[in-house]
Amino acid sequence: MRRGPRRAFPALSLALSLLLTALSGCSAAPAQTATIFAMDTVMELTAYGERRCVDEAVSAVYEAEDRFSVTDPDSDVARLNASGGGAVSGDTQALLERALELCALTDGALDITVYPLVRAWGFTTGQYRVPGGGELAGLLEKTGYDRVRLEDGTVSLPEGSLLDLGAVAKGWTADCIAGIWREAGVKSGLINLGGNVMTVGAKPDGSDWTVGIRDPFSQELMGAVRVRDAAVVTSGGYQRYFEEDGVRYCHIIDPKTGRPADSGLASVTVTGAEGVLCDGLSTAVYVLGLEGAKALWRENGGFELVLVTEERKVYITEGLEGVFTPEGSYQSTEIKVIRRG
Amino acid sequence: MAKTRTWVILIVVILLLSGAASVFLYAPRSPAGGVARIYVDGELVRSVDLSALSGEERFTVETEGGVNVILAEAGRIRVESADCPDQVCVRRGWLSSSPAPIVCLPHRLVIRLDGGGAAVDTEVG
Repeated sequence: MRRGPRRAFPALSLALSLLLTALSGCSAAPAQTATIFAMDTVMELTAYGERRCVDEAVSAVYEAEDRFSVTDPDSDVARLNASGGGAVSGDTQALLERALELCALTDGALDITVYPLVRAWGFTTGQYRVPGGGELAGLLEKTGYDRVRLEDGTVSLPEGSLLDLGAVAKGWTADCIAGIWREAGVKSGLINLGGNVMTVGAKPDGSDWTVGIRDPFSQELMGAVRVRDAAVVTSGGYQRYFEEDGVRYCHIIDPKTGRPADSGLASVTVTGAEGVLCDGLSTAVYVLGLEGAKALWRENGGFELVLVTEERKVYITEGLEGVFTPEGSYQSTEIKVIRRG
Repeated sequence: MAKTRTWVILIVVILLLSGAASVFLYAPRSPAGGVARIYVDGELVRSVDLSALSGEERFTVETEGGVNVILAEAGRIRVESADCPDQVCVRRGWLSSSPAPIVCLPHRLVIRLDGGGAAVDTEVG
């Protein structure tokens, strides 16, 4: 009689703990979320782990904004722009170095010095206008990433040249957050910095994250990719543009012409392990167009592409076969696969 | 032996019960439509159960930045008009099953749909 309950206790506690595990869902860690307004967008962070992981991520976002904002006069970037250069350190130096590498990799299709042009078209203020040819020619003389010098932690900018890390800062920040979370042991996390997505690990149930890609011609989804431990970033002219005299002018400036990019692509989605690479390349590939995109992908590794052309044709690189699935009206569209050979 | 068997049976029963409980607890609670939650500067200002609506429900949300007129119907919600400069929230159109919220950045207004039966975890573009 007395031995029964004593032996029973461990069995009962085991059963109870199993019950509690079942009740807590698939993962022992609860979802911690934060929604913040930063870098001119809305950001959503979800980590399955301790609350401090999300709090540290929020701090990392604000710290990145303080360093990289082109409009905040106290930021590192604004300080460099105001004085034509100066000493840089830490994350600002590291991001500048990586950004200049990406500018070179894309032969200037990504250019972190196009800010004077973006400003001339009114995309920084919303006071849109179409600059004249003479004005653009003058501004083009002030741009060119290859004229930026970064040596031993010292930046020097040519006269009139302005840096803008807007095309890479969110991807970089997503990488920082992913690093913080992995170090803290977070097995599952989702970062969406205004359409700049980074996934950490897999979903709590062990399956891939499904990231929907918006159709550039409607408010629906055109497809989705299933990923883990990967960034997914989309660039498209439909995201921000203005129209004048029946012509649409998009916010992505072609550094070669000084005019809004008009390459025949409607949207570019880049996925890969490195957020800053995907972020920078999404802009560059949108400028390069289909043929340039094929060449860039064939010559480099570390990323895959989903391209939608202005004629609604869809191209994916071969690494996304079985990873990309079309949605909605795109289910009846032929998906062309870009191959290495 | 008999006691051991009793406990094995008890554990199996508890496991079955807990499995059933988790299915019950994690099944979608609301039918298609879900609940739209409207936030201003991160604060919840209004919830609308879209599955309970039969007609139109139109209401105004006033923020420090300006005003958004929101239209809700059975299963979907949109910003009908707003006095923000960029009109991104109005152009976004209807939200019915997307995990991506409607955002009015100038007014710091966010409309999120919970339980809308979205097929994806998040969105880009």
